[in-house]
Order: sequence, then structure tokens, then C-alpha cells
Amino acid sequence: MSADKTKLRGKLRALWKEAHDFDPKDPLFGLSAKDMSGPVLSRRATLRLLAASGTLTAAHLMPGGLTAMAEAATPGGTLNCGWAGVAEIQTLDPAQIGQVLQFQITSNVLSGLMHIDADLVARGDLAETWTVSDDGLEYVFKLREGVTFHNGDAFSADDVLYTYARSSDPEQSIHSGVLANVASLEKLGTHEVKFTLKKPQASFLTKTLERASGRAMTIVCKGALESMGASDYGLAPVGTGPFKVTEHVLGQGVTLEKFADYYDPERPKLDKVTIKPIDGVEPLAAALEAGDIQYIGGNPIAPQLIDRFKANPDLVVDIKPGPGFQSVWMNPHRDPMKVTDFDKPLDELKKEPGFMVRLAMAKALDRDTYVQQASFGYALPAYGTINPAMAFYYDEGIAETSEQAFDPEGARALLAEAGYPGGKGFPELEMLVTPSGKRNGLVVANIFKQVLGITVNLAVKEFSVGIEDFNNMEFDMRLGGSGGDYDPDDGLIDWMISDSKFNGRTRDTVKYPIGYFAESEVDALSAQQAVTADPEARRELVRKANQLTSDKVACGFLYHPVDVLVYAKSVNVPAESRIPGLTDLDRVTLG
Amino acid sequence: MAAYVLRRLIGSVLVMWAVATLVFFMLRLVPGDPIAAMLADVGGPEEIAAMKAKLGLDRSLLVQYGLWFSNALQGDLGASIYGSRVPVTQIIAEAIPRTLSLSLLSFVIAIVIALPAGIISATRRNTLTDNAVSFLAFLGLSMPDFWLAILLIIIFAANLQWLPAVGYIPLAEGFWPWLRHLILPAIAIGTAFSAIIARMIRSSLLEVLSSDYMRTARSKGLTPRMLMFGHALPNAMIPVITVMGIAFALLISGAVVVENVFAIKGLGRVLIEGILNRDYPVVQGAILVVSAIFVFSNLIVDLLYGVIDPRIRLH
Amino acid sequence: MSDATLSPADNTRPKRRSRLLVTLAGDRKAQFGLIVLALFALAGIFAPLLAQYDPNEMTLDMMAGLSAAHPLGTDDLGRDLLSRILYGTQVSLFIGISTVALALAIGVTLGLVAGYFGGWIDTIIMRYIDLQWAFPNFIIAVYLVAVFGTGLLNVIVAISLAFVDDFARIARSMTLTLREEQYVDAARTLGFSKPRTLFVHILPNAVAPIIVQATVSVSYAILGEASLSFLGLGVDVSTPTWGLILADGRSFITQAWWLGVFPGLAIMLVVLSINFIGDWLRDALDVRQKAI
Repeated sequence: MSADKTKLRGKLRALWKEAHDFDPKDPLFGLSAKDMSGPVLSRRATLRLLAASGTLTAAHLMPGGLTAMAEAATPGGTLNCGWAGVAEIQTLDPAQIGQVLQFQITSNVLSGLMHIDADLVARGDLAETWTVSDDGLEYVFKLREGVTFHNGDAFSADDVLYTYARSSDPEQSIHSGVLANVASLEKLGTHEVKFTLKKPQASFLTKTLERASGRAMTIVCKGALESMGASDYGLAPVGTGPFKVTEHVLGQGVTLEKFADYYDPERPKLDKVTIKPIDGVEPLAAALEAGDIQYIGGNPIAPQLIDRFKANPDLVVDIKPGPGFQSVWMNPHRDPMKVTDFDKPLDELKKEPGFMVRLAMAKALDRDTYVQQASFGYALPAYGTINPAMAFYYDEGIAETSEQAFDPEGARALLAEAGYPGGKGFPELEMLVTPSGKRNGLVVANIFKQVLGITVNLAVKEFSVGIEDFNNMEFDMRLGGSGGDYDPDDGLIDWMISDSKFNGRTRDTVKYPIGYFAESEVDALSAQQAVTADPEARRELVRKANQLTSDKVACGFLYHPVDVLVYAKSVNVPAESRIPGLTDLDRVTLG
Repeated sequence: MAAYVLRRLIGSVLVMWAVATLVFFMLRLVPGDPIAAMLADVGGPEEIAAMKAKLGLDRSLLVQYGLWFSNALQGDLGASIYGSRVPVTQIIAEAIPRTLSLSLLSFVIAIVIALPAGIISATRRNTLTDNAVSFLAFLGLSMPDFWLAILLIIIFAANLQWLPAVGYIPLAEGFWPWLRHLILPAIAIGTAFSAIIARMIRSSLLEVLSSDYMRTARSKGLTPRMLMFGHALPNAMIPVITVMGIAFALLISGAVVVENVFAIKGLGRVLIEGILNRDYPVVQGAILVVSAIFVFSNLIVDLLYGVIDPRIRLH
Repeated sequence: MSDATLSPADNTRPKRRSRLLVTLAGDRKAQFGLIVLALFALAGIFAPLLAQYDPNEMTLDMMAGLSAAHPLGTDDLGRDLLSRILYGTQVSLFIGISTVALALAIGVTLGLVAGYFGGWIDTIIMRYIDLQWAFPNFIIAVYLVAVFGTGLLNVIVAISLAFVDDFARIARSMTLTLREEQYVDAARTLGFSKPRTLFVHILPNAVAPIIVQATVSVSYAILGEASLSFLGLGVDVSTPTWGLILADGRSFITQAWWLGVFPGLAIMLVVLSINFIGDWLRDALDVRQKAI
């Protein structure tokens, strides 16, 4: 590592520590009410808030972003975008949006009270200024005046109240849970509202009120919703954002046009944006190479295209670590991987044949070969749910310390000890994969065959069919995992604790007392880290929990994805528009 | 004749009803829970139950069927259970122009290729030209349409960059953009049909040309050109036209795979996606519309046969 | 001479055979078709001997071009393409033949029974056949696979059922025509049982159009399987079929053209050969072209 990098790392550490330096019981996380208020959160306050809500990542600490200004580029023009790996944009209604590829679009059309920038600093969007009470329970927002919706309706506090009412109704919104901590919302004036929380919530500004990924308080237009109906509104939502939807034909695409009355006269730069869903690898590549599209959004780009795009002098390829993990899940209720109780010391577990098989399979995962073969090198080996994008929490040493570390000899020895020498007598197992995960599944099955001599057959099922089997614990094995995990909570709380939201959620609890994994120490550590503010201490807890899930084989961890942005050289994407996971186009220009 | 037409019409409607009913019940026997999939990231068992109740999926099958059927009679085919719950009639109404555009263009391409090819090979029977045309027709018939589609994308979209690789632009936005996007898929679909029709034209022409009637016409001293376009071709086209009725219906089904390659959301793609996602209302609606197209094009063909050969009407 | 009237089939068979051979001698396309098909059949049967590699053996030598070690290159998972295509021949031909055999058995039985017995039996059977006839075969196959699930057996059943109506219609219409023929009347007058009349006297005479339909259907079945695989509805993923190889290769086709070209060529050659053979049989057996 170069001296520069070491220096940078030291600086980041210091920033990190400063951000986390507060008493967790303090409702304002060591910030004064004044720090929390404002037209813009200070960088310090933002980092502190992110840390307190557990969403601080290394990406936030990186300097840059705002310093790199866009080159002098002329406004205007049409940007044609392809949305990868999707046949149609099913909805743009914030109340129904469940996919990143959808809110990537609405972030250009609809506003929220707040919006994060490239440094993930929360800035006022429709909120001009705000103040927070000393107990951290009351947030008063002064709303931007003179803002109009695309249909000409004036934006006022009523729209915030209307959005709140709609989003807290589970019948109308799938995000009502996000607002569970809000006790009430009051209108104080035509352009002033007050949220009262049930308990202090560090992530209130950056998550609940965030316009894109939050979705609960993404402001919808009452007049438009009532005149259009929810279904039409879902196709062409009317908002106050920089672009308006002028056309949306399912399976054909979305057309956005510059909203001339946007509250910032400097934005947007482009006149028009077309978004075409493109399901298929070759068509996507062909469309980009032929110049039909100049920018790729939507689902992750197929890895085999990355080298090809990189070799193309007309394209820009921007790669960052991706927040997520993929695993091979093994049903502990099925022979020969049967384990009824994970609450035993590791040494005792290791004496059970079922656990030996699980560990043998996890140890057999030749992750380097996998990454090379399945992802053409564009992925990182995984040993736990905590991913490299979580930077500070990610444990680089786990590749060596985990029981799951690749060890073909050890794996074969364990399998023999469990009664299947050379894979003899081992039953054929079935692994659930989605159609798009088929290729990855073949690579995994081949690794098991090569290393252990066992046969794993693929059951290719549509996501809708396979997820049901997984949630019911009716499967042998499954290849799957998560994306969008920025915080340890996303990995541990969502996936690894006994009653996490994916852990055999709809199983027959009489037949299957536990889901795919249940371990009391992991539960305790996960709960504790979620409320531990001291970064070093929290990291310790996270690492311990992560290590335990790895050692006790909650699943065979496989790889962490990478995040790849590809666009034509003719497109200027200023650094301040490179918001992780988003495709904000309001500052993008064509050169 | 009127009674026959009426009888066939009622029969066709009954066939459609039977298809709709069969599809309704078979779909529900299929494994896969669309609501669980929809809420996979955001909801628990309670949310799933609430959503099912809201969509009426918790009622008994017969009640669901009754509701669906009475709504369908009023032109309401329900709504997609995903996303913004777009009405099925809207999804289908948007898909029909795409599939129709594609099919029509494929049809035109097929005829433009087939007509001269068929005439040439019939008039130069057993010459090198005839053999070459016949061989090409066989080739066209034997190429998987999706393979041809991929080859076309690689050659004309990726390498030559003459035409777009994917997408659909409505005719309302200009003839050229519309055509540009449809040329490659239409060739992919039309090739096989041009082969079928060319062969039909050839054999039908040969039959007519060897008929007594033609011999008489020839003995009257008509020129070959007059013989061909004034007499032989119109007569030869009769059986070909009846075949084209079916061919057109088949074009629509051929579009299923090719629409998939070119990311054009026509009827076929709506149907396949609906099936794969277990989006019951969409599948039912799509099948109803697709079956209507086939049932009625068959009906028309049968009626045409009836006109040509009255014996058919007997049974 | 009553024997001759009773069994004209016996009388025509030698004639038919010689006519087949005579026409074959002058039909280059049919000769080509038979030879190519025979070569593919041999390749399929002896695939285990001919293939240099296990068709599913992966290496890190991914998308390697054509070479002595890999005459047709390797695929996106480093598997030898030639070996996969050789094994794919087995599967494709097996699916082509078995689906048609099954469709033929079910369809012809239904058609014969419907046509011969008439009445309510005919009505019920033909109502169903009409129902199915309202759809193109491929749509039916897609739908059946989606309901039954994927896998070799399900794909075979789905494609077979989709073809049943074609055979049933031919068998029924032939039966209707032949039922009125003299020798069937004679068989009836002589008091032969209905099944005997059906299978011994009517079936052999309906055989020519059915043979032609069956031949052509094999090519449709092979194309159908390829298309199903392409939509992700095919045989299970570890069985190398041409359709699957092409579907899998689709995403890599510009980096490795051979993945798109050779399996497609294999499909085209076999289908072409079968079409040539079907055409020859149609001429030789004097079967009028059926309206698709």
C-alpha cells in the first residue's frame, strides 16, 4: 500500500471515530438541536447521523464528490438510457416501488423532503430549512415555496400530509412500516409541517424522508392521483422533480422531459431522457455499442460484458464494491445436512455428521474458481454477510480465519468422516436457482462435483415459485442472497438472526422449529451491535457475529458482487451525480 | 349458409369459453405464490394475507371464477397483480398494436419474398433456379426463428449498426422509426413463412398450369404473361389465401420467441411473462385474446373453404 | 378375388415400396437428407465414443476458439462444444422421435375412434381436438410446460400433447373417407369386429398421410424443444440439448460466435434433412399437401 493510501486511510479512520463519538443514549447523538437543523446538514452532523443509524460506510468518508465540478458542457439534448435485465418498469408509484431500478427513475421525477448527495450527505429537497427539538422527537420543516407539480398544482403542506396518509395505509402502500416510528404529522402553516416521533431515530432524515430509497415520504400529487387513479399514476407519476414523465408504455419504456418550472432553474440540463427496458445481454450490449443508448441503469450488468465495455474506447466503466452477498443455503432439516440445534460449542457440533456435511460443503466452495468462472473475475469471495462496501466493518482476515475457508482436503476428510468417502452413498441434492442464476448454479454444482464427488442438481424456478419454497423451508439447497446492504444490520438483522425476515418466514413452525439457521449468541451479538454507537466496539461485535455465522455454517457464503456503471464517453456524469445505487440525471450533460 | 355460419359462430364462442375456463382452473393448480413473490422484500405473513384478501385470492375457486367471468363479460379482465396493478385490458390494448405491426410486416416481407419465388420456381420447374429457390425455401423453413433473430442482431445491429437491436416505436411516432425497429424481427419471423407460402404458390400454380382449363386458354393463343397474371395466378391463389389465414395466426405465435429476443412486449410476450410470473389475470386475458384471434381466423378459413367446396359444410 | 378386395393394403405395399425407391433415386435432396440424418443418428448413438470430453466438464479455458483440442471451441463455462453438440444429438433426436411417437399413438387412436364410431364419441373427442386446434402447437407446448414444470419428461409430454390434434384430425378424416370405401363395407358384411376393421383395414390405408405428418412433426418437435429451451422452459439444465446450448450461448454470442453458430447449424441441418425426407415421402406416397 502506498504512503498516500495509508495516510488517507488514517484520515478516514479519524473521521470515522469523530462521527461515532457520542453517547448512544443521547437522543441527538452528541449533536445539538442546531446541528441537526438547517437547510443542509453539516458534513459532521451527517456522518454522525449515519454512524448512529448504522449506515455510515467508507464511501461517505471519501473526499471528492463536491470538489470535482462538471466540465463546462452545454445543456440540452436527449439522453437515451437502457435499463438492464428488466422487461418492463412495472411501476413508478413510490407506494408500490420495491426495486432499485424503479426508484432510480422516480428520483428524477419525484421529490422528497430530503435527498442525499454523492457523499450521502442529506440535503433539503422540498424542505428548505428544519429544526429539531432537544429531545430529538419533533422535527419542524419549513417547505420550499413557489414549487409546482408537473401538472401545475402548487405544492404545499397539504401534499406532505396527503403523502403521509397514503403511505401509512398498508392497503395503499407497501412501505407503511417505514413510518411506524412517526407518532403524528401536523400542518403548522401552508408551508410548514411538524413530525413527532415516538422515539428518537437517527436515520429519520436520511432514510425515512429520503426521496429515492425511502419511498414512504416521496411526495405524491394529490390532485393528479385523484384525477388519474392509482394505476395510471403508477405509470406516469406527477411530482415536483427535475423531469416529468411524458410517456410510459409498459414494456416499451419511459420518456422524461425537462420540467421547465423546476425549483432550481439551473437544473435539469438535459431536455429529454428516454429509458428503455432491455432484457437480454446481447441486445443490451448491441444497443450501447450501436449508440442506441448512451447510459445503462437498472439491474447489474452481466459480468461477461464488463471487459468488453472496458476495451471500448467510446465507453466509460466505473466499478465500485457492491453492497451484498450471495450464498449456498443448506436446509438443516434435510438429510444429510441435518442439524437440529446450532446452540452448541463448535467442537461439539463438529462431531455431528449433519454438521460435518455442511462444513464439508462450505469448505469445498472454491470461491476463487467460482469468481473467475461465474463472474469473469468481477466479484469478491465471501465468508459472511458483512461485505466490503461496509468498509470499516468488513473483516478482510475472515478469508483465513473462517472455518469455511477453501480446503479441499479438509472438506473431503469431513465428508468421509460423515460416512460418505469420496462422495459415495451421498444422495443427489437439489439446489433452487432462478433462471438468471442458472449459470452460477452450474458452476457451484460443478465445484461440489469436482471437490467432493457429490451431485447437486439444479431446480430452476421463477423467483415467485422458488421464494415460496425457501420461505417454507421446503428445499434442499438454494443459491441466493442480498443486495443493497450498506449497514451491518442489513446483513445480520435481515439474514442471520433466528427470526430475521428471510429465515424460513412462512415455514410450518411445528414441523420446522427453526429456519435455516438459529444461534442464540449470533442473536445476542446482532442485537447488541445494533445499539452500540462506539465504532470500534460495534465492529468487534459485528465481526464476532459474522465469524460465528461463518464458522457454524449458517450457509456456504460464496461471493460479494461489484457495482458497475457504464456510459458513453459523450455523457458527462459529474462526480456529484454518482450517488451509489442511484442514477440522478439532473446534472448530467451531453458533450 | 347463414345457419351454418351461425352454428360455427356459436361453436367458436363456446370454444373460447372452454379455453378461458380451462385456463382459469389449470393456472390455479400451478405451484407458485405471486403475492409472496411480490412482497418478498417488504412484507411478512400478515401483509401477504392482507394483500390476498384485497385481491380476492382468499375466496373459493368457484367464487373467484364466477367473479372473473361476470367481469369479463363486461369487458373487465381484472388487473395485473404486480406493480401498479395496470388493468389487463390496458396491457393487452398496448400489446396488440405491437404484435399486429410485427405480424403485418412479417406477412408483407413473407409475401414479397414468396410471390416472385413461387412464380419463378413454378414457371421454371426443375431448372437450376427452381432448385435454388426450393433449397432456399427449405433452408428458411429449417432455421429456428430465434437463431435467425440473433444472427440478424449480430450482423445488422452490433456489427454494421444499421438497425436497432431492441425495442418498439409506435407508428404514431413516425413511419421510419417504427419500421427501423421492426425490420429485423419481421425478417426473423417472416422468413419461415415466406418459405411456406412460396412452396404453396409453386405447387398450386403447377396444378393450375397443368389443368385442362389452362390448356384451353393456351390453345387460344394467350401470351405466357397474360396466362400467368390473368388466369393462372388468380386461380392458384385461392388455396394459398386460405392457407395464409392460418399462416397469419401462426405468425402471431411465432412472434412469441422473437418478441422475446427483440424485447418487444407484444401479446406473445405478455402471455409468456404472465405464465412465468403466475400473474393470473394477465394470463387469462392474454389467452382469451390470443384464442379469439386463432378461433376466428380458423372460422374465416373454414368459411372460405365452405365457399370454395360446399361439401365441407355437410359435417 | 374377394381376398384382393378385402385387403388392398397388401396389394399396394410392394408397389409403394418400389415407388419410394424409384423416386428416391431421382431426389438429390432426399438422398442428402437421409445421409445427413443417418450421420447425425450415428453421431448420437456413438457420442460417448466420439466425444473427447465429458459434455458437462467445466474448465477455466472459457470461450476458447476453435483448435485441435477443441474443434468447435469451448463455451462460456469452458465446456467442449463439440462434445456437447454430440451428446445434444442424442437428446434432440430422442425428443423429436419420442414426442412424435407419443403424439401419433394418442392422436391416431383418438382420430380413428372418433371417425369410425361417430356419434357422441366423435362429438366429445372432436370438441377437445377443436379446442386445441384453436391454438398453435407451440403456444400449447409453452403453456403445458409452464403448468407441468420443466424437465425431459414434461417437455416430451407437452410437445406430444400439442401435436395430438394434428394426428387426430388426419386419422379421423381418413377414416371418414375410408369408412365408405368398398372393402371396409365388405369387412363389415363379413362380420369382422370393429377393432379389427379399424386397425387391420382402415389404419394401413390412412398410413401414408400419417407418415408424412409424423416426419414433418419430428422437425417441428426439434424446433419446439429448441424454442422452449430458449424461453427457459426446456429440459433440465445439465442435459446438453441444442436448444439449451444455443440459449446458454446467446449471452456470449459476440465474444464466441461458435456458440451461436454450431448448435444452430446442427438444428438447421437435421430439420432440413427431415424436411427433405418429408417432401420426398409426400411425393412418393402421393399425399396431398396438408394445410400446415
